[in-house]
Amino acid sequence: MSLPAGLARELEAAVGADGVIGELDERRTYECDGLTSHRVVPELVVLPRTAEQVQATVRLCHAHRVPFVARGAGTGLSGGAVPCAGGIVISLARLNRILEVDLESARIVLEPGVTNSEVSRAVAPHGFYYAPDPSSQQVCTIGGNVAENSGGAHCLKHGFTVNHVTGLELVLPDGELVTLGGKGLDPPGPDLLGAFIGSEGTLGIVTKVTLRLVRRPEAVRVLLAGFDSTEAAGGAVSEVIAAGILPAAMEIMDRLTLEAVEAAVGAGYPDAGAILIVELDGPAAQADGDLARVEAICRGRGAGEIRIAAEEAERALFWKGRKAAFAAMGRVSPSYYVQDGVVPRTRLPAVLRRIAELGSAYGLRVGNVFHAGDGNVHPLVLYDRRDPDETARAQQLSEEILAVCIEAGGALTGEHGVGLDKRGKLPLMFSRADVEAMLRLKAAFDPEGLCNPDKIFPPDVPPDAWGVHPLERLARGA
Amino acid sequence: MAPSRVEPGTVAEAAAEVERARAAGLRVSIERGDGDVVLSTRRLDRVLEHEAGDLTATVEAGIRLSALAARLAQAGQMLALDPPGDPTVGACVAANLSGPRRHRYGAPRDLVLGVTAVLADGTIASSGGKVVKNVAGYDLSKLFCGSTGTLGLIARVSVRLHPCPQAQRTLAVDVASAADATRLALAIRLSTLEPSAVDLLWRAGGGSRLLVLFEGSAAGAAAQLAAARELLGGDEADASVWEETRAWQSRAGGRLSFAPGDLESLLQDRAEALVRPGVGCAYVPEPVPDPSDPAALRLLERVRAAFDQRGTWA
Ligand SMILES: Cc1cc2nc3c(=O)[nH]c(=O)nc-3n(C[C@H](O)[C@H](O)[C@H](O)COP(=O)(O)OP(=O)(O)OC[C@H]3O[C@@H](n4cnc5c(N)ncnc54)[C@H](O)[C@@H]3O)c2cc1C
Repeated sequence: MSLPAGLARELEAAVGADGVIGELDERRTYECDGLTSHRVVPELVVLPRTAEQVQATVRLCHAHRVPFVARGAGTGLSGGAVPCAGGIVISLARLNRILEVDLESARIVLEPGVTNSEVSRAVAPHGFYYAPDPSSQQVCTIGGNVAENSGGAHCLKHGFTVNHVTGLELVLPDGELVTLGGKGLDPPGPDLLGAFIGSEGTLGIVTKVTLRLVRRPEAVRVLLAGFDSTEAAGGAVSEVIAAGILPAAMEIMDRLTLEAVEAAVGAGYPDAGAILIVELDGPAAQADGDLARVEAICRGRGAGEIRIAAEEAERALFWKGRKAAFAAMGRVSPSYYVQDGVVPRTRLPAVLRRIAELGSAYGLRVGNVFHAGDGNVHPLVLYDRRDPDETARAQQLSEEILAVCIEAGGALTGEHGVGLDKRGKLPLMFSRADVEAMLRLKAAFDPEGLCNPDKIFPPDVPPDAWGVHPLERLARGA
Repeated sequence: MAPSRVEPGTVAEAAAEVERARAAGLRVSIERGDGDVVLSTRRLDRVLEHEAGDLTATVEAGIRLSALAARLAQAGQMLALDPPGDPTVGACVAANLSGPRRHRYGAPRDLVLGVTAVLADGTIASSGGKVVKNVAGYDLSKLFCGSTGTLGLIARVSVRLHPCPQAQRTLAVDVASAADATRLALAIRLSTLEPSAVDLLWRAGGGSRLLVLFEGSAAGAAAQLAAARELLGGDEADASVWEETRAWQSRAGGRLSFAPGDLESLLQDRAEALVRPGVGCAYVPEPVPDPSDPAALRLLERVRAAFDQRGTWA
């Protein structure tokens, strides 16, 4: 496939010669995201520097009917930033300025190419931070976070990206510039801003973002508890939730993950079947009281060693291993699938048991490291990609685990998105009517279907393959 | 012709009514009287599921907040929406209603996990889910927040719950001027206090007050109240003062959204208002024109048309 004659030159005129990449070798850098199993080399890569240049680029694509895909840092794990055949990539990497820090409003206004951790760094001297903290935060961009509605360990108490974005400027797929929201909250009308967040780059390109900043709490307390099994640790999580305690974060790592993490970063975790990390933040009196209750719950649930971080350095050490967990898996296995499913929190122990059973049945190792507080599991299925049979089994196992999550009343993806990778799985959770309603929104934003096409929605689904949404299932049972 | 009123008992019946009306070329309104057919969710009032251990519930949209609150209180939990009056959950979502505790717990858009809607062509569509974390597909449950019956009938709603706080303490501070209000609001923002509500009852002629609510364990709420008094002055007040702010809110003619840092200029030329300075919204006596970007309004028009091609929703 090739681009319309003259487009490359028109794009160069719009963004400058150094803003258009045509060399095949350089274009290859953009062929996939963090999930390397889907690859398409784009026809061109455009690197605009301003919103006007993004607009000009999109207008040209629209005029020539050339599909385009926005790209942040390319750390996505669902193939969301994979180029589409015959299309171009618009990288937002050069729109990386912080435009305004407004502490009196507790807001920051910035361009989408700013990385997640830069936001917190910029406001740390003033005692503020940006709450959503994906493990990839050193690299991933705010634009990518908005597109995926990214979460992180500390979203349990403070909410996900969608709860922290108050305003967006975007370029619609026909090149029009639109502002949604601003620094204040609750503007009138349907929440288009909320619907846009998590739309995986399929409704438009974000060129400016206004985020809510959170004041650093008076106290942060972190507890690390070793249990015999993930099931036991999961039981403690359920009890903490049921007791009405809302920690900032609750994360679990199982033995396999612990082995990998120790080999990679030497965090010095206790020798246990699973460890649970609980972080509590807020006013000191509240955090201390809650800490004591969490500790008692862990003891009651049979925790062995319990450590409480005495100082910031120790707290950072507790988290260091957790944040490095995915990458560390490379230490114990040549390849692995990262699954991203959600289950109701009360179903965690049962689902973890089922995952272990499935792992043994398939003869494959499964590591578990997950956001236990909100039921978001990341089973890591280990395999060797040089063995085609094992690779196929691993993929099948990973899919079966997902089906178990949905069967338990959960969700298809908690934070990594549907993208290309899971679009075929959308019918596991939705009916045809559910998906058709979503496509109405797509049609209103992108009638020509040029903006990140092929993502989220499956191309063709046999009529009997559609599923029943969890809410519909509930109503039928009631 | 007087509008006919229908009160379906199930979501499927509601869908059939909408379909029938549309086939007959009739316009449908939800709860209010301006359509040929007025659809009411009065009988759609069941709790379909309350999973206390998950802090989630799924309800039919016609259930009143008071009825749901009574049900959830048995498990020591609550839906943290406290708008004035006793609206249905569906109305809270459709009109994006919240009350003082918006400050801490958010608006319906932050608490809704999933929605089942009846669309203009009578199809039943769900989005979101019933778990607290989920990014599968477009989150139309957000789109329905604030949609005021223009995109579809909100029929079922899945929500995130919170534990009922063990203790609540309120601080009331007299406010002398716009500058004073701004100073107090900023002091709260820059402090490490975690209030559940911060309401400014503003009367330019005098008698303005700032109310701050602290919730949590008995020890936690008491410590925060003491720290807040130290920082802001004022005295502890009875919880009944919150009825006053809710009464103000229900009398308001409009709600406006502002950058929290612009509080002082907002107050400068206002005789009275109920302001949520931390949220950046204010309830004012007069209706507030929609300040949206014209391009956003055009986009919204396209979204409405996509959901209601024949103009069925009145
Ligand atoms: C080691 C590792 C750990 C991770 N941990 C987490 C985690 O804890 N939580 C979590 O949620 N995710 C996690 N992720 C996934 C990933 O980092 C997030 O999805 C992140 O938000 C992607 O940002 P990005 O800038 O890399 O976006 P990309 O991968 O470049 O793009 C992602 C999607 O966003 C779209 N997009 C990018 N920029 C824009 C824009 N300006 N406007 C419109 N659309 C845009 C793209 O088209 C694409 O669909 C992890 C990934 C890795 C590799």
